[in-house]
Amino acid sequence: MRLYEYEAKEIFQKYGVAIPKGQIVESAEDAHRFASQIGGQVVIKPQVLTKKRGKAGMIRFASNPDEAFRESQSLLGIIYKDEKVSALLIEEKVETAIEFYVGITIDYSFLKPVAITSPFGGLDIEEVAREKPAMVKKVRFSISEGPTEKDLEEQVSIFKPNERLFMKEVSKKLYQIFRQYDAEMVEINPLALSKQGKAVALDAFLNIDDDSLFRHSDLIRPRGKSKEEFEFEQFLKEMKWKYIEMDGDIGILSSGAGITMAILDLISMRGGKTANFLDTAQMDAEGIYKAFSLFSGNTNLKVLLVNIFAGLNRCDDLAMGIKRYLREYPLRIPVVVRMIGYREEEGKNILREINIEAIRSLEEAVEKVIKLSKREG
Amino acid sequence: MSIIAKSSTRVLIQGITGNAARLHTKNMLEYGTKIVAGVRPGGGGGDVHGVPVYDSVAQATSNHPIDATILFVPPRGTKAAALEALNAGIKTVVMVAEHVPLHDNLEILEEAERKGSLVIGPNTPGLISPPERTKLGFVPSQYFIPGPIGVASRSGTLTYEIVSRLTLNGIGQTTCIGVGGDPVVGTPFPKILQFFEKDSETKAILLIGEIGGTREEEAAEMIRDREIAKPVFVYLVGRTAPEGKRVGHAGALIEGNRGTIESKLASFREAGVPVADTPADVIRIAKQILQS
Repeated sequence: MRLYEYEAKEIFQKYGVAIPKGQIVESAEDAHRFASQIGGQVVIKPQVLTKKRGKAGMIRFASNPDEAFRESQSLLGIIYKDEKVSALLIEEKVETAIEFYVGITIDYSFLKPVAITSPFGGLDIEEVAREKPAMVKKVRFSISEGPTEKDLEEQVSIFKPNERLFMKEVSKKLYQIFRQYDAEMVEINPLALSKQGKAVALDAFLNIDDDSLFRHSDLIRPRGKSKEEFEFEQFLKEMKWKYIEMDGDIGILSSGAGITMAILDLISMRGGKTANFLDTAQMDAEGIYKAFSLFSGNTNLKVLLVNIFAGLNRCDDLAMGIKRYLREYPLRIPVVVRMIGYREEEGKNILREINIEAIRSLEEAVEKVIKLSKREG
Repeated sequence: MSIIAKSSTRVLIQGITGNAARLHTKNMLEYGTKIVAGVRPGGGGGDVHGVPVYDSVAQATSNHPIDATILFVPPRGTKAAALEALNAGIKTVVMVAEHVPLHDNLEILEEAERKGSLVIGPNTPGLISPPERTKLGFVPSQYFIPGPIGVASRSGTLTYEIVSRLTLNGIGQTTCIGVGGDPVVGTPFPKILQFFEKDSETKAILLIGEIGGTREEEAAEMIRDREIAKPVFVYLVGRTAPEGKRVGHAGALIEGNRGTIESKLASFREAGVPVADTPADVIRIAKQILQS
């Protein structure tokens, strides 16, 4: 779960990382008010969860409250990459001497946290790493012990001697945040050295591992999603379902991530288009009954493919769930069931009662679904 | 021969009194797995299907020699259970839970490395060695027969789909291992390739990979550099998965240009590894390799 910049900054400040004086506002009037309180120049930053706002021209500067009003008005309400701008962070403009980069993430090849620092901040760090690899320092360290003094020394070795002490301090604080918040990634880019010689985090990025959210439940909130979307997301989480919508006309109900991806591939390789798919972690009669409800309201659907490979569960049990749902809520679209595994014949017999002839071969079922999706009307 | 799970492997079940654990303990015993003890933290005594239940892993290990443990423990309890097993000196730890917190996972793997233990998972159905009649986890054994292929997969259900077809075609397996669907797992493809390379019975290796992460690329590099001499073939899924969305496995997330299908295909091509694009194609390639 990605936090907004202002949320991450609040956390950074709590851990002793200096941030610019700022205020979150939801109207141009409030932006005007806060800009006059600050006096001088302000920075106006839309609170959206997509990166690279600067490159998209989304970060504005204003030298007086009226300008702040106008810029805020032009930013509020715009849609940027599917996200509506509904809040702005208004900050004092810090006069910076130099800008650095510092971040901690996970090296998935070495299975260890890795701290990344560079004297070239404010830019895309991957680009810096490509163009000036010597100017990006990456140090892996122990997750349980954190970076040692030696790790930190190495970390700051590419900085000028007078910059090393505060870079070390910031790195240590960032590590505390990384651990405390179960971060996938925590980053300050840029970390500015102000003309007064103070290190200030001009931006803040914090991404929390979704599987750790039970330890950070105070931070769970809709974040730009509508109430319905948010509640649906929480429902999926509770059911342990993974549900994704695409723009085709074939629905897929399957169990297991790998086989679901394999079915998506088969459909697309044979010219079909997937509308949505649901991957249920585990299926039983009750689970498949509930899962069907996700497909009943979708008007784009022309056909639904249900894939059942009963290894630990039973075909007849799942067939009962399907029968129960379709008897109570008949679907207007055809349902194709691919079924194989434990108690397969019994399952097939149950489906025949609702006029579904289950198919044993996955490829055949996919062919049939594609054919049905291409029918007119 | 097989890898990791042998007929002689003495197995502990942590969390043995839970419903799923009871069921799978029974299934494993029936298949032939040598389960010697179970643990229910703070509630030992009695037995589950004849397997004695202890209060703690230490108590179990002081009463029985134990080679491997399977954690039928919820994700939030996985770290404590795994560290307990590692501290008791158990050399193989199978973690089946999905949604284990990332940092917990990293801590477990770091401790396992210190102790010289092997972690399988998390988010895995476990592994099965048909020639040894031993499975560690909840793989449905009816689809597996002994034979020459070593299989490693990031996905449980896709493994059953593919291996059941191998079996129908008379192509058996030495060991099939679910390495786990998370981005952080204890025995990723490169490590498993080394195990299969050393196993005298394994004649060819099938990797069932997917988008996300760089383990397929790392495996391809090992093959290219001739660290693996046995024939390897691959089935890759996720070709049409939408970018930036978690298709299913946490590990299958595509971010930027990391872990794309293109990069994986290119790596295997460079290493001369055949890549199947459908389940039927996997069988075709398997037959071809075994005939040559």
